[in-house]
Amino acid sequence: MISVQLILLIIFGLAAIWFGWRVFMTSSMVRSALSLLASMVAIGILFLVMEAEFLGVLQIMMMGTEMSIMAIFMMMYMMDPGGLGQMDMYHQKNISIAAGVIVTVLIVGAALAADWGTIATQFPGPHEQNRLLGMEILKRSMMIFETAGVTILTGMIASIAVALSIKNSVEK
Amino acid sequence: MTPFLTGFIIILLFLSGVYVAAVMERWSVTGHVNWGGPVRSFLLLFAREEIKTRKHDKVFFETAPVLFIGVILLTISILPFGRGSVVIDLGTGALFINAALVYVMVALLMAGWAINGVYAMVGGWRALAQLIAYSMPVVMALTATVMRAESMFLTDIVESQQGLWNILYQPVGFILFYISALAITFLPPFDLPTARGELAGGVWADLTGARKLLFRLGRLTLVFTVSAAVVVLYLGGWMGPWLPDFVWTFLKTLLVAASFFAIGRFMPRIRHDHLLEYNWKYGVPLALYNIFQVGVVLLL
Repeated sequence: MISVQLILLIIFGLAAIWFGWRVFMTSSMVRSALSLLASMVAIGILFLVMEAEFLGVLQIMMMGTEMSIMAIFMMMYMMDPGGLGQMDMYHQKNISIAAGVIVTVLIVGAALAADWGTIATQFPGPHEQNRLLGMEILKRSMMIFETAGVTILTGMIASIAVALSIKNSVEK
Repeated sequence: MTPFLTGFIIILLFLSGVYVAAVMERWSVTGHVNWGGPVRSFLLLFAREEIKTRKHDKVFFETAPVLFIGVILLTISILPFGRGSVVIDLGTGALFINAALVYVMVALLMAGWAINGVYAMVGGWRALAQLIAYSMPVVMALTATVMRAESMFLTDIVESQQGLWNILYQPVGFILFYISALAITFLPPFDLPTARGELAGGVWADLTGARKLLFRLGRLTLVFTVSAAVVVLYLGGWMGPWLPDFVWTFLKTLLVAASFFAIGRFMPRIRHDHLLEYNWKYGVPLALYNIFQVGVVLLL
């Protein structure tokens, strides 16, 4: 059963993998971060192709900000952010190749061995999906989401408060 | 009117709106109204030689203007200009506006990095700092409009304002969204990424010719698009007496865009640390208050 959806799924799946590979093939921190962003956007498009509209749009929105912020942190902390010194993005080649192969085999094995059930043909529209997601978050999973949300918000406010050290320590 | 004719008129109105925005942009800098100015600038930039900096990042240099224009066109395609006059009525439209406009910042960051110049790079990172400042108030203000409509369809959000427009129903949310809209379009007083004086043009400092033209044109389209988003979310969208619905959207959008440029003309540029400070200390709590207020009013 070859449909447009399946073809798009394969194209963007391969794009996600390709951009993920590009992350490690460049020596510039910004290129690396934006390759990861492209990979994440491809995953967001996969959600859209699979008709999970809210998740897709959310993924695309969040990753745009997150990966850019990651780029500036990588710029700040790396000695060679522009990649002018031709540094490598990977270390301990043999161990990392072995780890990569093992993890790939495990993931592919799990994907093939898992029972995915029948392919869904009937699913609610985007509006109904949003409503059901809201019900899930505010009913059964409320404690988990609220705890996580408040923890993250506290962390954000605390880190901003700490970052304002220049104003807090006025020298006498 | 046939749908085809309506669509044609909407496109014409949109293009003329972008042109008027170009005239207003020039006015906001020089103080003179010059109706032929944008055409001359267009031809000048179109014909000018493109000077590329040494060792620029080719991929980003080519991708950034295309990404910039692309996300703006995506945003236009989900905005309803009239009853039924919308290209794609997305089930997550309100969220999609924000998702697409985040990539305006990504395009600026890419352009700033690609040029391989100091001013442009600082400008690119400033675009990111600006986004960190305004993104939270924007999302929370959007949330409050979605709460009232109980739907993320933009058409439903317009319909929900039948009795009372959102500007009166949630004035705090409107003010936050309006200020953030100025920051999204990086117009003065929030023109930190492309600051003329202190950064000599920032991201656009070293761009010439067609790429500069794409960015300038893209920004004018962005201003008009974000103004249309303000109208859809807070000013009752296509609602109004006598005239056809899309004419109302156009007139309101033009008014919002004009107010953007008027504010830019008379306000000094804000410092980036002040922008971050005010948004996180006052903007975020106000946005949370707005959600609370709308929730209480909805439940009463």
